[in-house]
Amino acid sequence: MSVAIETRGLSYVYEDGTRALEGVSLRAERGKVTGVLGGNGAGKSTLFLNLNGVLTPSGGEVFLAGKRVSYARRDLPGLRRRVGIVFQDPDDQLFSADVYRDISFGAVNLGLPEGEVRRRVEAAMARTGISHLRDKPTHALSYKQKKRAAIAGVLVMEPEIMILDEPTAGLDPQGVSEILRLLRSLRESLGMTILLSTHDMDLVPLYCDYAYVLRGGRVAGQGTPGELFLRPEVLRENQLRLPRLAHLMEILAREDGLAVSPGAATIGASRREILRAYQEGSR
Amino acid sequence: MGTDRYAYASRLRRVEAVPKLWLTLGALILCISCGSAAVGLVTLALMGALTVGLGGQRAATLVRFLRLPLAFLAVGCLPIVFRPLPAGEGALWAAEVFGRFRWGVTAEYLRVGLTVFCKALGAVSAMYFLSLNPPMTDLTQALERLHVPKLLVELMELIYRFLFVFSDTARRIRVAQESRLGYQTAGRGLRSLGELASSLFLRAWRQADRSYTALESRGYTGALNTLPATRTPGRWLYGVLAAVAAVQILTWMAERSWLQ
Repeated sequence: MSVAIETRGLSYVYEDGTRALEGVSLRAERGKVTGVLGGNGAGKSTLFLNLNGVLTPSGGEVFLAGKRVSYARRDLPGLRRRVGIVFQDPDDQLFSADVYRDISFGAVNLGLPEGEVRRRVEAAMARTGISHLRDKPTHALSYKQKKRAAIAGVLVMEPEIMILDEPTAGLDPQGVSEILRLLRSLRESLGMTILLSTHDMDLVPLYCDYAYVLRGGRVAGQGTPGELFLRPEVLRENQLRLPRLAHLMEILAREDGLAVSPGAATIGASRREILRAYQEGSR
Repeated sequence: MGTDRYAYASRLRRVEAVPKLWLTLGALILCISCGSAAVGLVTLALMGALTVGLGGQRAATLVRFLRLPLAFLAVGCLPIVFRPLPAGEGALWAAEVFGRFRWGVTAEYLRVGLTVFCKALGAVSAMYFLSLNPPMTDLTQALERLHVPKLLVELMELIYRFLFVFSDTARRIRVAQESRLGYQTAGRGLRSLGELASSLFLRAWRQADRSYTALESRGYTGALNTLPATRTPGRWLYGVLAAVAAVQILTWMAERSWLQ
């Protein structure tokens, strides 16, 4: 597996002296969804802004596809093209009252010819399912639709890596499923590397291939979701918790002596786990 | 979302805004500079017909919008028509106020008042063509094409966009205040309103920071360059402009010759 983006000992200190990141080392594999978990103020957003060159690291290195990233002024546009960020609140990102024009912004900034910009805007709208909203003003869109428009605005830049800051925050359950389905289709059909932050633990086993736990600007834990759930204390120390189903597995194992593993955190996995333990018990 | 809703529903939605802007300006300038009641009424009828016929707006919508400035117009024209008169001047109607001042209406000023009223109504109707047909973002785009400074156009666009964001924020703050009885008495209401204004200002400040960050991450380097959706050029609207202008001028000439 090739590594799409990697940080080594990444640090960032804000102007007021706040050490937001301290020696963060993580890697996101190409075509995978990597989760960054952590409570509020863990440094997730700061990390993302460093990866896209809006903030320049105070220390450490970032590697894109194996090559060291330069934060020199002339190299920033290239970095921002390759690493796109979708911000948590779409109202922070959508600056134009015209949906079409807002989506075109990133592509126009790349200096592409008009025909290519149009092709990309159309493709991004089709992919995010908002083609029918082109004639609507931004302020007439629902929160869900704004979120999609914000994703489309990053897609037009055709980034290799898409970073999403709390992509499911503030959405209703169906909205959450829709966004996650969209992310899955991006990964599957475009092979896009996705990095997302969340504290909705129930989504982690469903959508993340690998995850990092961040706390106070440091990496406090990492692993595949299954591995992480086997060490619930790491999550609990960091303002996180087990997914509900993994928690159920934990209780079944501890209180009822059922031989199930909390690594089984999805409905399918825990069902198999319970059936297995049940059959073993009845034998 | 105010009048913009109608603009987004307009049948001329996909036509360039520049010819619409010229059509409006042409009709507006002729209507005002002719200084005639007949031209005002003709402008009212023509631009109204264009909004309904070409734009596909419902006539009821237009009438509702036209009713809005009527009160202002009436109040504005009243002092022109009804004025103090020197004793002995002929009048259509006059009365002594408090037995000392003579106030009344003369034929001349009735005509002036009527002209002002019709002229203003025609101008308003022309402006409604502009507000009910191209959406705001198309209009600012047109201004840019007409070489209005880019900075000004970008400011207009940002203000327009964030107007909705901040009015939404203000509404939410207000509801939160009201739910804690912030507007029970006049004094407390004033205080709450002040707090709303100051917290809105702070939020706007922070919003600016966040928006700037978001723009930067999409490659912003000092200009909000975007590509608008394709529009048809709508050069035929210049033909409409010529026709409207011709009818206005003919009306003006007819009125003059009739008055002489």
